[in-house]
Amino acid sequence: MSAPTVRAPGALTPPSPRGVRAAVGRVLHTGVLASAAVLVTGYVVTFVREPATFGSQAVARAHLAARASFPHSFGAVLDGIGRGRGDAIIVAGVLMLILTPVAGLVTGAVAFARRGDWLFTAISATVLAVILGSFLLGSLAA
Amino acid sequence: MTLLEVSLVLFAASIAAGALGSVLGLGGGFVIVPVLTLGFHLDIRLAIGTSIVAVAATSAAGAASNVTESITNLRVATLLAMATTLGAVTGALMAGVFDARFLFALFGVVLGVSSLQMLRRRSIAVAEVPSLVSEQVVLSVGTAALPREARNVHLADRLSLHSAYWDETAGCEVPYTVVHTGLGLGLMYLAGTLSGLLGIGSGALKVPAMDLAMHLPMKVSTATSNLLIGLTAAASAVVYFARGDIDPLIVGPVALGVLLGATHGSKRLVGMRSDRLRTLFVVVIGVVAAQMLWKGLA
Repeated sequence: MSAPTVRAPGALTPPSPRGVRAAVGRVLHTGVLASAAVLVTGYVVTFVREPATFGSQAVARAHLAARASFPHSFGAVLDGIGRGRGDAIIVAGVLMLILTPVAGLVTGAVAFARRGDWLFTAISATVLAVILGSFLLGSLAA
Repeated sequence: MTLLEVSLVLFAASIAAGALGSVLGLGGGFVIVPVLTLGFHLDIRLAIGTSIVAVAATSAAGAASNVTESITNLRVATLLAMATTLGAVTGALMAGVFDARFLFALFGVVLGVSSLQMLRRRSIAVAEVPSLVSEQVVLSVGTAALPREARNVHLADRLSLHSAYWDETAGCEVPYTVVHTGLGLGLMYLAGTLSGLLGIGSGALKVPAMDLAMHLPMKVSTATSNLLIGLTAAASAVVYFARGDIDPLIVGPVALGVLLGATHGSKRLVGMRSDRLRTLFVVVIGVVAAQMLWKGLA
């Protein structure tokens, strides 16, 4: 291949070809739709199984004062889904939402690698490593 | 108040936060946190946990349409994400080293100064082309007239960061040259550090950094910020989840509302006039600056 080309100022060089953008866009769209569907399902399940939750002022007060109990570990979420608990399904939807931009990043990394753009593959991988590192640091600290 | 009423109010407020946040490249925490703490006296830990999820929702829904419509500069987003996530980790590790009130006050001052600078950049564009086809055409032509050395474009050349986007209001494709990439990376690192230290998204700092330092067009800056804030938020959201700060019955309506608002808002970004977007941004970060100064000085 030739040496890096020098471009004229403001030259039209699409930063990421249509394919990369389309792939990342598709993953983000899918993530948004899937997590919205899971969130709504969680709500419907909670409504059907525990209708009293929504009509009680005491329940609202407990939630606002951070005195309510709800799943906050991956194990508890999976366990709750198994038991058909609405709040666990909602948390799963929230986690899917949080991971959606990260899934976009992974898709970008794969697309850059396919094009042989190793510099940007490495940059994407570094970002991913930093995010995974802080996941681990955070889970240990909590 | 019952939980049903609380959920409905939160859902409505979140639609507004998502719409505004996605257009401006901000997470919407500046709307969500006051509604939760002042309106519902929600425990502050849960308010921050909820706000982080709102940032993730704005980012996912906003970036989904921005990326598809090619406003987001993916290469710039990926590169800057490296600086901002490293900064977020640095900030999280340094938590407690600095006085939070001092940092909030500092954040407020920095935002205030940035908003004034961004307002100045608008008047340059308006003065040169009264008809204002698109401020970005003027700004990018103005930049291109300078010698290449003066514009620090070499790093951006090497990384192929320059690009173009289709501007609906201008009715043409607007090419742009990215300048001062090194400075942009430095500012993103600082923005990430501040967000890690204070537990806030920092779209309000990221957009001015891309606009003022790197001369990205306004729409590209807010769209690229939409993707960046989600990556920064993901890094800390898991911590809040493990700590038990993410209450599903509070976060649920917020997440759904923000998704709806951000999907609608980000689709309107293409059709917005850049100068109006800039004015709206300056007004909103003026409000955020005041919130931060109040937190620091009160």
